[in-house]
Amino acid sequence: MLTKGRSRFLSIDTSTSNVHMATTPASTRRRIEFTDIGDMQEHFHNSGWTDGLPVVPPTPDAVQACLDAALLSAEHLVGIEPVRERAISAEQIAINSVMAGCLPEHFPVVVTALTAMLSEPFLLHGPTASTGGCGILLVVNGPIRNELGMSGSFNALASSDRATTCIGRAVRLVLGNLLDVRPGEIDRSTLGHPGKLSFCIAEDEEHSPWSSLAEERLGDPHVSAVTAMAAMAPRQIMNEWTTDPAEILDTFVAEIKANMAHYSVWAGNYAIVVPPQLRDHFAVAGWSKADIQTYVFEHARMRRSDWAACGKASIVGDQPDREYLALPDPDHLLVIAAGGPAGGFGAVIPPWLGTRSHAVTTPVGACVDC
Amino acid sequence: MTFEILIPTYDNNVEPLTTADRLDTLAGKTIGIVSNGKLGTAPFFDEVERVLRHDYGVTSVVRTIKTDYSAPADAETVNAAQHWHALIAGIGD
Repeated sequence: MLTKGRSRFLSIDTSTSNVHMATTPASTRRRIEFTDIGDMQEHFHNSGWTDGLPVVPPTPDAVQACLDAALLSAEHLVGIEPVRERAISAEQIAINSVMAGCLPEHFPVVVTALTAMLSEPFLLHGPTASTGGCGILLVVNGPIRNELGMSGSFNALASSDRATTCIGRAVRLVLGNLLDVRPGEIDRSTLGHPGKLSFCIAEDEEHSPWSSLAEERLGDPHVSAVTAMAAMAPRQIMNEWTTDPAEILDTFVAEIKANMAHYSVWAGNYAIVVPPQLRDHFAVAGWSKADIQTYVFEHARMRRSDWAACGKASIVGDQPDREYLALPDPDHLLVIAAGGPAGGFGAVIPPWLGTRSHAVTTPVGACVDC
Repeated sequence: MTFEILIPTYDNNVEPLTTADRLDTLAGKTIGIVSNGKLGTAPFFDEVERVLRHDYGVTSVVRTIKTDYSAPADAETVNAAQHWHALIAGIGD
């Protein structure tokens, strides 16, 4: 339960640079009063509250509009981050969602994403603190994609539309402002990657021969859901020289194996993104997502001796033939239909660090306390 | 025109961390060393243990390794730490 306290108003007079403070009757959140939007932006930046980009002012009305859209009270507990022992409320998330540019209708997706991330299997502290530098991939499924104007087509892994861009950014601002996940603070990433600004995509369900990611993982074809996965940067592949599904997957597998050898050998959730041009070949051949998962599970493997070819001969050791699997089982491969219509491209999105953090899929609007 | 914003950071009551009481001496004490499990900690903590024993008279050094370097120490380690006079936790990559 959040404690309520007295709020203090801070008025910044740009003409005289005087700071005026006053107290008001008790309210639920600390507040600041501004007379100039530029002053507000600089205050936010100087306070470390942004990702370097301008923010939308989180006014009480804008925050309340988000809460109303999600039918949540300000004090609603979305989850607890157990390492920092911090209870994360709907209002706290709403404030950061407004800042990110989210409209009220986007907010339920942000809440769902945080619910997934705060669940035990996700192990939020690990991915957000690690030197490994992963981001958090969000995959949105179901009718809510169309309601929010999400696009799983062109530029799918980048800024494809307002909703995915803002929702992805909101999650990052929540991490920074509520869990101190900032570079050099909790976030010890050596490199990081651009997905740490925003990393949210919508699956292109309408143009896919397959069941959606959410249906695969939840068993419901009609649900709107968010899948969160601690993820490294996407690695693009291309194969326009075959229509054979196995050969196409061999290219994906080669990229997975490269990640195993070059970055991390530990098994976990991998995601592959399959745009239409490659998807069509699977459809013609009658390959389901399960067929793809099985093929990748069986072929995405490396041996310790493979490290000798990439400068890691010193760790081959006395077991050169020891085999490592990319996936603990076929279900650990997330197959996502997304991307623009042209080009034999695809993408492999590796996990942060294998089995430490597990991808979690949560329905939008689910009550985890019920 | 004046407008009001809500502060976006965590504002629940967070008790500040305080340092533990300083030991009067290390001689005769039991010191726990908790490694995050990464390779870099081993030689470093080997030297730390040597210094503790040789230079400061520590009689017992308990070396433990977290089972998951991205999660807090498990309950077994936390319980064991109740019997140590001091604990050194370290990370290595």
